[in-house]
Amino acid sequence: MSTDLIVDPQIRSWVFLPIVVITFLVGILRHYASILLSSQKKVELQQLADSQLIIRARVLRENCSYIPKNSFLMRKQAFNKEDGYLLQKRPPVTQNMMTDPSMMTDMLKGNITNVLPMIVIGGWINWMFSGFITTKVPFPLTLRFKSMLQRGIELSHLDASWVSSASWYFLNVFGLRSIYALVLGENNAADQSRQMQEQMQMTGAASGMPADPKIPFKAEWEALEIVEHHFKLPDVEKEILDG
Amino acid sequence: MANLKRKLERLRSIRENNERASREVVEIWESVISKNLENLGKEKYVVLEQICIAALDCFKLGIAEQCIRELYDEFPNSTRVRILESMLYEADENYKSALQILNDIIKQDVNNSSARKRKVAIYKSLGKNAEAIKELTDYLKIFAADVECWQELSEMYINEHDYNKAAFCVEELILHNPHNHLLYQRYADVKYTQGGLENIELARTYYYQAFLLNPRNMRALYGIYLASTAIVNNTKNLSLKKKETTNKIIDWCLKEIKDKYTKKSTSDLEEKLAALEI
Repeated sequence: MSTDLIVDPQIRSWVFLPIVVITFLVGILRHYASILLSSQKKVELQQLADSQLIIRARVLRENCSYIPKNSFLMRKQAFNKEDGYLLQKRPPVTQNMMTDPSMMTDMLKGNITNVLPMIVIGGWINWMFSGFITTKVPFPLTLRFKSMLQRGIELSHLDASWVSSASWYFLNVFGLRSIYALVLGENNAADQSRQMQEQMQMTGAASGMPADPKIPFKAEWEALEIVEHHFKLPDVEKEILDG
Repeated sequence: MANLKRKLERLRSIRENNERASREVVEIWESVISKNLENLGKEKYVVLEQICIAALDCFKLGIAEQCIRELYDEFPNSTRVRILESMLYEADENYKSALQILNDIIKQDVNNSSARKRKVAIYKSLGKNAEAIKELTDYLKIFAADVECWQELSEMYINEHDYNKAAFCVEELILHNPHNHLLYQRYADVKYTQGGLENIELARTYYYQAFLLNPRNMRALYGIYLASTAIVNNTKNLSLKKKETTNKIIDWCLKEIKDKYTKKSTSDLEEKLAALEI
């Protein structure tokens, strides 16, 4: 390593900086495109009512000791009897992701704003700026980093701290988050890494759809069933007279 | 320009604290904002909405109309602006048109809660309490955890002297917020009004709780006193011991109330507000 590489200054102005600018602008574009394409998610009335019922059942379970026993039993009955709020028959949720057209368009929009520019711009940058060494990280790295930082350059004896153009692009994609936050404000849609995380979760947890309302209802039913009512207030008289 | 900035800040703080300073808002509009509509920047439409509502509050329909027109220019299809428009009709006592708009909105978007609430308000101002209550219960069937609505419903039932149902609503409020002394006091009020020994005893328990949560709650103190006297006077075979303790409580209450009134010249507004301890 006595003779270090010297990188042509032309690379700085025609590869290094253009990549930064391009990724940045694409992010901004994507932000506005997703605003344009975004559609408000419509919540089903039934879903809304269900979630509110669950809240009501929960506060009943947690704070039941502050209301008289009769009132508690009345509510418990209303929630937990044979066809009470928590056990009422409801249409089974067969809403499949693939069959629901609104779901489909949502996914398509997601793909258009997410995956498509990633592939197109990534591919284009790979093709346009392939094979350049763009910069060097200011610390030594082990050989394992070569595949990460030197994509597109297959030189076995090049020091691992050099960064190739394709890798520089990826570093930019993931590293511009704070700059987007500065320019576009919080919660912007420009950041690809965040969206990718979201997509991972989508596939993981069935797209965040509340699967079957029966399951939380059943859990709440069970919890309410075993709650015992202890009226917390009858002793306050003594507390005041003593205190 | 600096003036405008200061006024905008004031408007923002009013918005954020949910203050009802309608007169002040309208004054701000008349003095500064109406001439500087183009310089409001990002906040323009939020401010317009705020001013519109404040103007309706002060019955300055012209201002409200102007705001709505501005908003319609920007958002021609917004339900939020349409609700403002219906409120304008409502303020003008043209309830039919207001209801028409609200019904259209609900038809379009079944879970638009503010439109439903406006409808309740209209029925209320028409004096159709029964219909308002029906509308509100329908609303609560969907939005079962909307605390404010339970409160509104309880007040309506109290106005209708339907204390059983009012008590139910207040219980619901207590469940949602078990550390608010005013709710306990309200519940006790309802129970005391219902009458009957059992209810009065329950009322006394709840007055105790309200007093325990906030020892400055005078009404709760009076409540304890009244409920205790009612218990002593109305029960025929009260055990001697219980009678004694109840009498003790009555004496203690009277003493406490007298103390409080002699100690404090109740002129200090802050002191009074602190007693609310909201």
